[in-house]
Amino acid sequence: MRRAIDDAEAVARACGGDLDAYSVLVARYTLRAHRAAFLLGAGEESDDVVQEAFVKAFRHLGRFRVGEPFGPWLLRIVANETRNLTRSRRRRAALALRLPSAESGGTAADGPVDTVLAAERRAELVAAVNALPDRERQVLVCRYILDLSEAETAQVLGWPLGSVKSRTSRALNRLRGLLVPVEQDRVTND
Amino acid sequence: MTDRTGWQDAVESELRAMGRELAVPPASDLTAAVRQRLEGRTVRHRGVLAMGAGALRRRPRRRAALIVLAALLAALIATPQGRAGITHVFRFAGVELRQEPGPMPSPRSSASLPGERPISLEQAQRQVSFPILVPAALGRPGAIMVSDGGRVVSLIYRRTLYGQVRMDEFAGHLDQVYFEKIVNLSNVTKVEVNGTEGLWIKGPHELVYITRDGYSARASARLTTGNTLIWATRQVALRLEGNLGKTAALAIASSAH
Repeated sequence: MRRAIDDAEAVARACGGDLDAYSVLVARYTLRAHRAAFLLGAGEESDDVVQEAFVKAFRHLGRFRVGEPFGPWLLRIVANETRNLTRSRRRRAALALRLPSAESGGTAADGPVDTVLAAERRAELVAAVNALPDRERQVLVCRYILDLSEAETAQVLGWPLGSVKSRTSRALNRLRGLLVPVEQDRVTND
Repeated sequence: MTDRTGWQDAVESELRAMGRELAVPPASDLTAAVRQRLEGRTVRHRGVLAMGAGALRRRPRRRAALIVLAALLAALIATPQGRAGITHVFRFAGVELRQEPGPMPSPRSSASLPGERPISLEQAQRQVSFPILVPAALGRPGAIMVSDGGRVVSLIYRRTLYGQVRMDEFAGHLDQVYFEKIVNLSNVTKVEVNGTEGLWIKGPHELVYITRDGYSARASARLTTGNTLIWATRQVALRLEGNLGKTAALAIASSAH
């Protein structure tokens, strides 16, 4: 019977050239990597990006430090690949964030009023996030959608921690402006 | 103050809820495809060949990588598509080489890397994460510049036998792209530098710096002078630029430590 192996053991064995052990990691992380690639803007090419990232990750396993979590390390390669893809196509990252369409049963278009309002509000938020500058959208995707910590986000995007903090707060501020009517938002700061 | 954290919490929790609802297309099962590529059954992928120094470090793969690079270069040069002006891209030691259709854009005559400033060698070494190599063959550099918050160090030699010579050093072995070069691939040849692989690029070409988060730094775009050699050690990637021939460039490179 096959025993489940943990990430650290799989990495160690893959380092020694064990492709079976590496396949365990590929299977375990494909969904997360794909979600990250798609949401960071790889669009239809997300599968290609993830495949390339897994191949590179294997070749760079020698640089992986023992005890480091595999997920953020892999996602950094995924994020690099996504960036290389969008840059080499000389286009903005695909506007990746969208909600399932109402017809496909994702949201209730004719349910109770509060459900409808919540769905509208959600759609506005998606549009607002899509309208943010690239870097601010990326940082929100990492922090709140891929649920990475600030330090992990810094690692994945290859930014200093300070940039993660400042871009996050700038992005949240912009969304605040979009979501809250200005009149209700007076704060006295003196 | 409480008001401020209140609205932040609200936006953050809305973002998290939104994240759970977003539509993401299903992922393909990639286990077999990845395995096939690692076993070497397929090598080309979406027209981009990526080669970091890391891939070259391990011997068996290094040979395979050299063959792939040679084959790709040969194919690009030999086939009509290679000349007809389809965009071709490949990466080597932190440098992305692209061949693009159409006339070359005309870069500014004076250009610098973001945040470029002079510094002493000792200070520079404290600011960067890689060991700075100095080529003994050129003597003491006339100036040392550090750029982009310690991401790149440049040694400038103003008066040498070969005119002005510039050596840029960066952590290109970590699989990030630092420079983009728009080249004619028929001017690119593979060379050996200290037993590792390097690329020799004949003639001027457009050079653009790529920032940490993957954007082209427009103000850095310029035409290079003379010829360029790119190579990497285990810890640092280097590009040497000046009016020098291949033999001189290789001699300078092998004196860098």
